[in-house]
Amino acid sequence: MEPFETKVVRGVTLRKDPAREPCFTVADTDDQMISWPDWSDQSKRERIHRHMNNEMTTTEVAAQCLCDFPDAPWELRMELARQVWDESRHVMGLYRRLKELGGHKGEFPVANFEWTVSSYVDSAIGRITVMNRTFEAGTMDVMASLPDGWREEGKDPQTAELLDAIAADEIHHVRFANHWVHRLCAENKRNLLKVAQAVRYLDVAQKALSPAPGTTNLVGVAVENVAMSAPINVADRQLADFTDDEISVLLKKHDLESLVAPGAGA
Amino acid sequence: MSIKLNVKQRANTVGTLRFVSVFLMETLARWIPTTPEMEVKMLLSRQVWRMAQQADRLGRRGRELRAPLHYSRPPQQDFQSALKQLAAVTDTIDRIDAFHDVALPALAAGYKRYLAETDRLTDEPTVMICEQALAEIETMRRERNEWGSEIPKARATDSSALKAARQAVAGVKDIVDHSEQAA
Repeated sequence: MEPFETKVVRGVTLRKDPAREPCFTVADTDDQMISWPDWSDQSKRERIHRHMNNEMTTTEVAAQCLCDFPDAPWELRMELARQVWDESRHVMGLYRRLKELGGHKGEFPVANFEWTVSSYVDSAIGRITVMNRTFEAGTMDVMASLPDGWREEGKDPQTAELLDAIAADEIHHVRFANHWVHRLCAENKRNLLKVAQAVRYLDVAQKALSPAPGTTNLVGVAVENVAMSAPINVADRQLADFTDDEISVLLKKHDLESLVAPGAGA
Repeated sequence: MSIKLNVKQRANTVGTLRFVSVFLMETLARWIPTTPEMEVKMLLSRQVWRMAQQADRLGRRGRELRAPLHYSRPPQQDFQSALKQLAAVTDTIDRIDAFHDVALPALAAGYKRYLAETDRLTDEPTVMICEQALAEIETMRRERNEWGSEIPKARATDSSALKAARQAVAGVKDIVDHSEQAA
């Protein structure tokens, strides 16, 4: 893997942000972002704009895996190449919708947290653990209710359909990560250590960058009022090949013990 | 009847075309996070998947030609050097055109040369892969100009970096290295 530039935010070393056009303002933390809890027109545009950038960072993480890990199994690289294409279609779908709603690129600040954390991890298995099995799976949880929110509260069935199509793609991105994390751990127990290191790093980064209670964003909204969190999306996690045991353990966040297959060799 | 390429020579060429496809896939992937323009990133992302699929089909065909599964064979040294020169361009328009207007035509020439040399009956599985790849290359080249309203147009005159890459690639007559050392 080639050396890369880093940045330090609140004491955590992260990978430096990917390239962005000058129209984008890149934020490091939630207090530098803009979002509203309501369904006003500007709030809708901000939600789509933020999602568009998140899909862009996922495109970039998957792409970076292809060049950072040329010795990864070819079948895994194929999955990542497919993910690059999928995420790029998501970006363009959201961009199209953003423009239809009168928005434009750079209208709101963006954050590249998922890139800065995922792409800092120095193993392919660690990256797909963080990016696909954690961030994308978390998105899957949020996406379970998101289309209904857009349909019922946002009165915007078109965006709801777009998000539902995106959510369907994300299931496979999580599924292939589950498949490969299990397979690689079964083949070599040392891979479990790489998974553990990646999860530990993610935990440290999330804790360091989490907003303190009472933190407000750039428009004075309490961050906790606009934070995206959701219960475990059991149906989609099952489709993504999380086992029932894993889904139970997920409630405790870290499910490393479930990756150890009986009799797995070193 | 005259069969111009034997099985080993076919495997050598299929492995070389795969090497080039993987190299281009990795080059595009490396450019995506380091290119600022969003629509350009997304155009390059589309082509990553196409190059991966070409490499995959060639890799599976290699095994049918007595080579290992996903056999990759480095091309002639001068073509390798030209590819590295191409991959090193940093300007956005240069990257778009280095891939679509320099690398893809060179790859297409490799496929066409193979089609002209192989026996279309006994090697029909490879012929189908080559013909599909050529159609995809045409699509990718068309997308360079037609996909997305924010993709910058080509310059009237090449930058010095693109001109050098173009000349380096054009200077290679045959990309396949049939020597034993290349295996």
